[in-house]
Amino acid sequence: MMDVKRIISKIERDYIVSNLKKEERIDNRDLWEYRKFQVKSDTIASAEGSADVSLGDTRIITGLKYDVGVPFPDLPDEGVCTVMAELLPLASPLFERGPPDEQSIELARVVDRGIRHADCVQTKKLCIKEKEAVYILFVDMYVINYGGNLIDAGGVSALSTLISAHIPEGIWNEEKHETEWTGKYLTGKSLVKELPLILTYGKIEDIVFLDPNLPEELVCDGKISISVTEDKITSIQKSGAATFTIDEIKMLGSKSLEIGKKLRKELNPLQYISKIE
Amino acid sequence: MPLIIKDEYPETLFRKDGKRLDGRDVNELRPIKMEVGVIKNADGSAYLEWGNNKIFAAVYGPREVHPHHLAKPDRGILRVFYRMATYSVFDRKRPAPGRREKEISMIISDCIEPLLFLELYPGTSFEIFIEVMDADGGTRCASTTVAALALADAGIPMKSLVSSIAVGKIDGKIVVDLSGIEDKAGNADLPIAITWYNEELSLLQFDGDMNLDELNDFLDIAKNALKDIHQIQLDALKSKYVKLQEETNKSKGKNEKKGDE
Repeated sequence: MMDVKRIISKIERDYIVSNLKKEERIDNRDLWEYRKFQVKSDTIASAEGSADVSLGDTRIITGLKYDVGVPFPDLPDEGVCTVMAELLPLASPLFERGPPDEQSIELARVVDRGIRHADCVQTKKLCIKEKEAVYILFVDMYVINYGGNLIDAGGVSALSTLISAHIPEGIWNEEKHETEWTGKYLTGKSLVKELPLILTYGKIEDIVFLDPNLPEELVCDGKISISVTEDKITSIQKSGAATFTIDEIKMLGSKSLEIGKKLRKELNPLQYISKIE
Repeated sequence: MPLIIKDEYPETLFRKDGKRLDGRDVNELRPIKMEVGVIKNADGSAYLEWGNNKIFAAVYGPREVHPHHLAKPDRGILRVFYRMATYSVFDRKRPAPGRREKEISMIISDCIEPLLFLELYPGTSFEIFIEVMDADGGTRCASTTVAALALADAGIPMKSLVSSIAVGKIDGKIVVDLSGIEDKAGNADLPIAITWYNEELSLLQFDGDMNLDELNDFLDIAKNALKDIHQIQLDALKSKYVKLQEETNKSKGKNEKKGDE
């Protein structure tokens, strides 16, 4: 495999492209094949849910924390779920220290939208008392090793984290005007309904392929991420300086539903529901 | 807003049978697991589980200094960045690095610098990134230990490893390897690190109260515990090469078989 560097030589680029033209990849996958996903859930004791997800060489550890706060005035009976991503400088020489840059904000926002628009988190279940108290969930993703396609790995990792959730259950005490704890837990069983997956495709010249690895991601003209539930497309993000034909988008839409269905079955994310009651 | 479930301090830190709350004896360490080479992109890396602490360390260097004005014409520089994940602690930590993280980064950097031959690398930097994914007391000691391991994994010349541990006093008794709750509710906490090439102290802080006898005891007990930790570090470094050896033997075996055919 090629080394990580900012610039990939023209020879290496040509090698990647000529392989893709023959429908071959430098890591021997076919165009519509994922690298291997590995998921471990609830690995962080301090978090109220967590997942350690690898996709090939890419590795992301995500944790869930919660807070109780006042709901937004326009959604008085719904909790809030926010997604944050950090590209740790430990994960790649390409990542720098400092406040979140474009790439990490895009990762967080695409994963957030994939989850938000899919009827995944049941925000009404996160309400303790209308207009007074709701849960605010923080899903924080940390990239441990960057091997390309952070978005798909991040999507699986955020989803598995939410499914593995075990949040103390609160009820509203009218007299004291505050939240009290019942000693029970809210788990992924009641919090999560749809299971959105994000599928990212790279494009080089006129070739489109699933799950770009690092060298492919560094040389590709652009990418497109399509988030799907069992039967619906819930968000799309085109990024990079490539253009896609209308026919390509139609084709990727149906491909995404088909591959998403297969992947969802393989990953079986509901197995990570916390056993804590 | 703070969380409403409080992490209350227990009245006593010892159980009725004389053991500590997590079932350890006074001089017993928590289970420790170390592994090197866990982050493929880094020049050197290590992972450590120490009780509930889970920490990654990665080393990049020697490489160009950025920003450039920090470079020194006659020697390399060492920079350490200790950070905690937002979900590593009871109350969600703010994502931006705080004062505590900056201080600990400096302490660890000062602890490790004596081990390196920085004068051999003018104009360059070594950067160590430490990420605490799960925290339960003693993260600065665990981070120092795992950072040394990552440096060794990067193949950077070092005088020796450094090992670190916290000793302390809980309910008036001296114990090694304070857990999170013992650290918060105990009477004294003394993080300490030994650089093995000269067996001197390279990290030392203290909070609490002690008399002179106790100081002597603290140091003796710490040194004994550190020997165990040093051994675990060495074993982790060796096991990477044992694995490599096994893999090469396997592939050699395959090639020979092919040759026979």
